[in-house]
Amino acid sequence: MLKNLERHWNIIDFAISSMLRRKTKNLSLTLLYTLIIFVIASLIFFVQSIKHEAASLLTESPDIIVQRLMAGRHDLIPTAYMEKVAGIRGVSDVTPRLWGYYYDPVFGANYTVMAHDDDKTTNGQIAVGQGVARNQRINEGDLITLRSAGGHPLLMTISRVMPQQSELVSADLLLMSAADFRTMFNFPPDAATDLAITVANQRELVTIAGKIAEILPDTRPILKSEILRTYDSIFDWRGGMMVIILAMAIIAFVIFAWDKASGLSAEERREIGILKSIGWETSDILFLKFWEGIVVSLTAFLFGTILAYGHVFIFSAPLLAQAMKGWSVLYPEFHLTPQIDVYQLSILFFLTVLPYTVATIIPSWLAATVDADTAMRS
Amino acid sequence: MLQHPAIIALTGASILICAMVLYAGGYGIRILRRWDLSSGSEAQLSLERRTYLISVIIGYALFFQVLSLFLYIYTADSLHPLFVGAMCAAGSLNAVPFGYAVLVLKTVNCLLAGSWLIMNAVDGKGYDYPLIRPKYALLLLLAMLISLETALQITYFGSLKADVITSCCGSLFSGGNRSIAGELAGAPVLPTMLAFGFCLAACMTSGVVFLRSGKGGYLFSLSGSLFFLAAVTSLVSFISLYFYELPSHHCPFCILQKEYGHIGYALYASLLGGEISSLGVGLLAPFRDRPSMMEIIPRVQRKLTIAAIAFFALFTGIAVVRACTTSFTLGVFG
Amino acid sequence: MIELANVCKCFNAGQSNEFLAVNDVSLTVNRGELTILKGPSGSGKTSLLSLVGCMGRPTSGRIRLRGIRTTFMPTDSADPVIDISSLPERFLTEIRRTAFGFIFQQFNLVRGITALENIMLPTYPTGESHAACRKRGEELLELFGIARHSGSRVEWLSGGELQRVAIARALINDPAVIIADEPTAHLDSRLSREFMELIGSFKSEGKTVIIASHDPIVCEHPLADRIIEMRDGRVVADGRS
Repeated sequence: MLKNLERHWNIIDFAISSMLRRKTKNLSLTLLYTLIIFVIASLIFFVQSIKHEAASLLTESPDIIVQRLMAGRHDLIPTAYMEKVAGIRGVSDVTPRLWGYYYDPVFGANYTVMAHDDDKTTNGQIAVGQGVARNQRINEGDLITLRSAGGHPLLMTISRVMPQQSELVSADLLLMSAADFRTMFNFPPDAATDLAITVANQRELVTIAGKIAEILPDTRPILKSEILRTYDSIFDWRGGMMVIILAMAIIAFVIFAWDKASGLSAEERREIGILKSIGWETSDILFLKFWEGIVVSLTAFLFGTILAYGHVFIFSAPLLAQAMKGWSVLYPEFHLTPQIDVYQLSILFFLTVLPYTVATIIPSWLAATVDADTAMRS
Repeated sequence: MLQHPAIIALTGASILICAMVLYAGGYGIRILRRWDLSSGSEAQLSLERRTYLISVIIGYALFFQVLSLFLYIYTADSLHPLFVGAMCAAGSLNAVPFGYAVLVLKTVNCLLAGSWLIMNAVDGKGYDYPLIRPKYALLLLLAMLISLETALQITYFGSLKADVITSCCGSLFSGGNRSIAGELAGAPVLPTMLAFGFCLAACMTSGVVFLRSGKGGYLFSLSGSLFFLAAVTSLVSFISLYFYELPSHHCPFCILQKEYGHIGYALYASLLGGEISSLGVGLLAPFRDRPSMMEIIPRVQRKLTIAAIAFFALFTGIAVVRACTTSFTLGVFG
Repeated sequence: MIELANVCKCFNAGQSNEFLAVNDVSLTVNRGELTILKGPSGSGKTSLLSLVGCMGRPTSGRIRLRGIRTTFMPTDSADPVIDISSLPERFLTEIRRTAFGFIFQQFNLVRGITALENIMLPTYPTGESHAACRKRGEELLELFGIARHSGSRVEWLSGGELQRVAIARALINDPAVIIADEPTAHLDSRLSREFMELIGSFKSEGKTVIIASHDPIVCEHPLADRIIEMRDGRVVADGRS
């Protein structure tokens, strides 16, 4: 056992010295390898983190949202429906929600408008999200003009700008009182956009949703878990699409790695011939190549992952943001919380180190099976 | 097809491993047909060089296969929110056919690859390649099973669609259901415990007997495999209950999760290690009379026996320690 | 000590450029003797040397080693015989590592590492303790008077110094047989004679030496016990001096 360890130690020693003697070749390989790992790791960290953000945001979302459908399209829901829903056993709360979209032609941006009534809301005052504030270059206390559905201008005072931490949900948000909302959109007084339902026992979600669909056949109940699932699927899908596109890059890298491994310079071939002639056998040379591969893979994995961590969690992934966040004029600025676990690292490992290792198996073996007597023939 | 990065990684890995093993298998056929150690012809020398490549390939294949076994379970687990009714990996695996078949095949292939590597190491110690033919016959079997596993895995992941209603592990692993997993949990606790204890005793005893007298290698190997099966059954039937501290939670996958300190990895790794070692003892036994192997095989078998006993003892130890330190009781012992 | 019986070595069998490097050679190399292989290039000397030195397997014929003990074929006999014609590479290499030392025409030292490291290279795969091997290496450097170069890269050494490093490397595992292929090809007369003196000292230690050379300083040296002439892969003359 000890002999084996000593043998490996000697071989590792020689492997490192051998690699240092061929700096250019190994450096270019390691750099490219690091780049590939960096890109894929950034992608995986980003997707995982966004999924986590979406999940934690949605914990506050209502258990069931009931929307009315008219000819397959989302329509306003009569507030009279509330009583019927409240009557179902297991429903602990029914709240009407008022929200919609407002398009601002001056700045070319779409805002989400929501009615929110609490002690702080007064008519004529709105709270805006950071994205809106940035977009229009406005601050607390400023006045903005909104165009109502009837064509009249509405003058509103900014009561507050929502904090930066909430950007992911509130970047494009305008919060106003319900009365202002109805005025602005000419909203009928006996309707709401949808109903938010709170359910006492989570296990009964599906049953209650079923009952709602039964008693109000022109509505669709949407479960929070379904939203979560859909978001997950979308992010997974987007992540997967990127991975498939990057597969091209991985394949290119693998071919490059194969080429580097196969392209034994005359000097290397001579060296291996010498080693074999003085008593190294094929398994020893195979281990030599194995350790060389490990050194390259570990270095690239370490640096690639660290760089990706910095890229995603410190700089908020500027290179990936465009593809992943969707197309919009208003982007929330937010910092992702670091979310790394062994699972993600193993996916990364499978997508990068595995293909590299497989690509170098045959070239390593070809190098190792150089005949012992080539040293005599040179 | 779910374009989840983990599924892409697993599928890609499976295809690569399958390709490597099929390539090795192809040369295996050539070796089986043309091997002639006494000839010094170039063809023979080329074949001998090729055997190194095959050993390297299968070595890597085993390593990645074991990793992919755990990644597969972990992926099934992380996919469970996408299926209504699924509470953990058990639900995802049940969502469409072949989920469990792939898991079983992956495990079998890990065991086979590990056994092959043991045979290969012993073969290399003999000065006349004594095990070359049985070794490559085993390789062909491995190649076929890995191809089957890859095909089924692609089918499984390909037919997964989010939002499919599935029975979650709560109802899957309780006695009512007729599926095989239902039967595992339905196995009544006391008889399973007795079977577990009996298999453990049989395995340990035959191991000690073999170590002392060198006889009974087959018996030990067989008892080791029986213990493996008994251990898996017991894990689902009562051992997992001690970890979850719930009398109805029989799922064998949740113990891999963070909440339980990832103890599942230790349990499964020790079972796998023990089973590969005990399989090795049985596989080597038919060849111990060959001249080049007469000293080597008994020595290797002893080491494997000790390893198997150690692994199985580790598994039992973890389970027993947990059973004793937790306040949860099954009420079996009064 | 090394018996060859009807040994042939064929390259590119079955192809248009099929070439028989060693053609039906049968001879026995005796222990403790200095045997010289003589012949023009292409006569098969190098191929024969590599077969005798356990570097390759013969295409046909048998090669047997007498008096060499191995770990993998333990035997009680006082004069063990091993047939190496069908040994797998791993065992051949083990024999070669422990029983044979090679000196090549081009020295074949690894560039970029020091003289001491070059000398220690054959011991790396044995798993022997690094410290013990280092000590042996330094002793050998001392023996050949080049201890001051132990830390120098081989690129900086002169022809004679390289020769001595190459010989030290051949001796690191204390082999029973020394094999040299055209060792004096890159040496002047003075160094060649020094080399032959070293060979003399090996002989007096009981080692067997086989040299392939056409240099008269080697072939006509009084220490040479036997001269084997080869042409076209066959032995054409086998005389004692």
